[in-house]
Amino acid sequence: MRRRLIGLFVVFVLAWGGLATLTVTGYEPRLGLDLQGGTSVLLTAPDGTDADVLEQAVEQMRRRIEDIGGVQEPEIQISGSNTVLVQLPGVSDEERALEAIGRTGLLTFRPVLGVTPGLIGPLGSSYVDPTTTTTTTPDTATTTDASSTTVAPSSTVPSTTTTEVAIPPELVDNIDPQSGLTLTDDPTEEAYLPYLTSTFGQVFPVILHLGPAQVFGDTIEDAAPGYDSTRAEWLVQLEFDAAGGQAFADLTGKAAGEPSGDPRRQIAIVLDGEVISSPAVNEDVDPGVGITGGRAVITVGNNQQEAQDLGVVLRYGALPVAFERSQVNKVSATLGADSLRIGLISGLAGLALVALVLVIYYRSLGVVAIFGLTVFGSLLIGIFSLLGERIGLTLTLAGVTGIIVSVGITADSYIVYFERIKDEIRNGKRVRSAVTDAFQSAFRTILTADFVSLLAAGLLFYLAVGPVKGFALSLGIATLLDIFVARAFTRRAAWVVAHTRFGGGEGAMSIAAAAGVPKEERR
Amino acid sequence: MSLYQRISRGETTIDFVGLRRRWFAISAIFLTVAGIAFAFRQLNLGIEFEGGVAIQADNPAGAEVSEIRQAATSAGAGGARVLLINDGEAIRVETPPVDGDTEQRLVEAIAEVTGTDPADNSRESVGPTFGNLVARQAVIALGVFLLAAAIFISFRLEWKMAGAGMVALIHDLFITLGVYAITGFEVTPATVVALLTILGYSLYDTVVVFDKVEELESELTREMTYTDLVNRSMNLVLARSLNTSLTSLLPVGSLLFVGSILLGAASLRDFALALFVGIASGTYSSIFVAAPLLAVWKEKDQEWIDHRLRIERRAAGLPVTDRSRRRASAPAAMPLSGGARPRPPRKRNR
Repeated sequence: MRRRLIGLFVVFVLAWGGLATLTVTGYEPRLGLDLQGGTSVLLTAPDGTDADVLEQAVEQMRRRIEDIGGVQEPEIQISGSNTVLVQLPGVSDEERALEAIGRTGLLTFRPVLGVTPGLIGPLGSSYVDPTTTTTTTPDTATTTDASSTTVAPSSTVPSTTTTEVAIPPELVDNIDPQSGLTLTDDPTEEAYLPYLTSTFGQVFPVILHLGPAQVFGDTIEDAAPGYDSTRAEWLVQLEFDAAGGQAFADLTGKAAGEPSGDPRRQIAIVLDGEVISSPAVNEDVDPGVGITGGRAVITVGNNQQEAQDLGVVLRYGALPVAFERSQVNKVSATLGADSLRIGLISGLAGLALVALVLVIYYRSLGVVAIFGLTVFGSLLIGIFSLLGERIGLTLTLAGVTGIIVSVGITADSYIVYFERIKDEIRNGKRVRSAVTDAFQSAFRTILTADFVSLLAAGLLFYLAVGPVKGFALSLGIATLLDIFVARAFTRRAAWVVAHTRFGGGEGAMSIAAAAGVPKEERR
Repeated sequence: MSLYQRISRGETTIDFVGLRRRWFAISAIFLTVAGIAFAFRQLNLGIEFEGGVAIQADNPAGAEVSEIRQAATSAGAGGARVLLINDGEAIRVETPPVDGDTEQRLVEAIAEVTGTDPADNSRESVGPTFGNLVARQAVIALGVFLLAAAIFISFRLEWKMAGAGMVALIHDLFITLGVYAITGFEVTPATVVALLTILGYSLYDTVVVFDKVEELESELTREMTYTDLVNRSMNLVLARSLNTSLTSLLPVGSLLFVGSILLGAASLRDFALALFVGIASGTYSSIFVAAPLLAVWKEKDQEWIDHRLRIERRAAGLPVTDRSRRRASAPAAMPLSGGARPRPPRKRNR
């Protein structure tokens, strides 16, 4: 008796005491966005993306979001084979944060091989052969070197001298036959990309024929936003590492060797397949040396925030893979709170009803079940609090569903056991030995059935994505707890109750009464 | 003695297997209704699966659902789904995929009818990839799970029990999907969770019920046919099944009641109803579909045919052959034929 009471005491201390301690020290389950409001975005990488690459991308996203700040407890996790789930609790300015997290941020500097005016690319008829003359006029500068040697602002203007130029055969498949533009830009190949150039305040579209990238964003050591007061423009100052600085010098040196006004004097700065500027190298740059100092500048315009965010994106380098936003889900805080309230109210009401049924049907054993359910519930909340704090596990609506279902399964464990006790008593056993013997065979059934649930939870957790994963985790945790509670609590508690007058006696609440033994035969 | 007491004591003598045509007919009716619903009404897939546009706006003008739907239709976005949030304080409109111009007109039309600024309203375009990804991964996981569960049940119980359990599971799945088809509830990734829950529960319940059959099988073989064995097991396990379905349905029912009637949350209501029907079906199918199926199937085993013949001969006062007497009296020495049975009888508790 004493040994079992001590055992029970330990279980209660573990469950109730543990939960009380966690609550006092401020641990509580972390609620998912669907329960507290916020934005979640699912970013999908191309099929077959390597797991390592995905992890690296998540790591970079994490660093970016820390730098942007202003988002409370963001969550970025890999979910499934090629998707990343980004969750931003709270709803302030999430669009901006998402833009900064999800964009690839692949920055390249590429030589310009030619310029086609208009909207039709090289498959169309009007292509400017770079060797023929083109007139150039000054344009706004966008690249400078460290010593502030301003790069000569220049740009091309449509020229009448056009000739047909053969496109390298390896590029043809990747070109849209309608517009003549490159479909998917691979920085290591030549490409035809659109660009809006401006001359004397007039903006017109051109198509740039770009060579393979010479300088990549991963050689950027630092990127800081800045303000150019003379131009009244925000910009991002880039600082290359040694290799990047050398590559930049080589690229600019080569461009400086082209005659003044030639489009090939230009350097294109391309971010995520989009040309963001295309300045020409200044007249005073020595063709043999290029722009040294390992610095460059990207102008952004009059948007300070964009400069800051771009700085963050470039500082940590490009994501190793391009993501597509496959779902955006915004839940208002009130909607989330409502779901939580409904879940809690109905969960508690359901539990109360379950408790009532168990007591009516199983009398004193029902009381055992009620205490067991509180132990189960306390441990479950405690585990979710701990995991929420330690590994950022969040409790979502799907998780709450998993718990509600597991309450049913836990209740079933008691029912299987109690029915077995009744069987044993009807077969002529005494209450005390029935309680002990019934546990053996009931536990075997519970283990078998719980194993099926665990199998489901484990496989769903490893293979499924999104809400299904949250459901599987709750189900798995709850099922393990069910086995633990049955073994550590129910067995001892039923034994103790059977050895008291309350359960082992002859009253209406006794186990014998629950088994349907007539009053006069209850020992 | 009342029926309740008899169930509670496991003293009912319902012929579950003998009345199987009745149970199968009941299931057939439900499955037919579900099948007809599938044939005439497609599942209402949410925008997570279909892709589409969802616009959420406050509703200071207090526009009615019909007004909003009309505004959407006149903007060129027919078939819009309109949801009132918080008793109409806010609205959500979901349409099938539309082109950019229509989307712009839709945003303006909705802003006008709700009395809001188009810029303040949230708008999202959803590609169909996410929902399909969830569903695809869930189906893959499910396939692997069913295979693993079948192997486990075959190993722990026996393979015919695994087979009967799978039939019960598919039965429950179709009936639940039928509910979605009939009611037109939106199928969302959360629905996938509900379906998985139901499948897990269905299999769990079948395992508990068959565990009882397996247990009795090692205790009582001499006087009972396999059909008798299954019947006896079902009568014994009936109290447990009724109580378990009651205690499982209470929390879900409470979610259904609190969620829909008291707080008016449509999505939770859909979810809870599916769970409710699925769990009820899961309990029903374990006893009334899986168990009779198992009995009929097992009675085809040579071993159990012999066994039945022996019992009939004994009942008719005919001599029992040596071979079969040896079998009947000393099951431990019996050569294994066909099924996994029999094991030596375990120590009787009595």
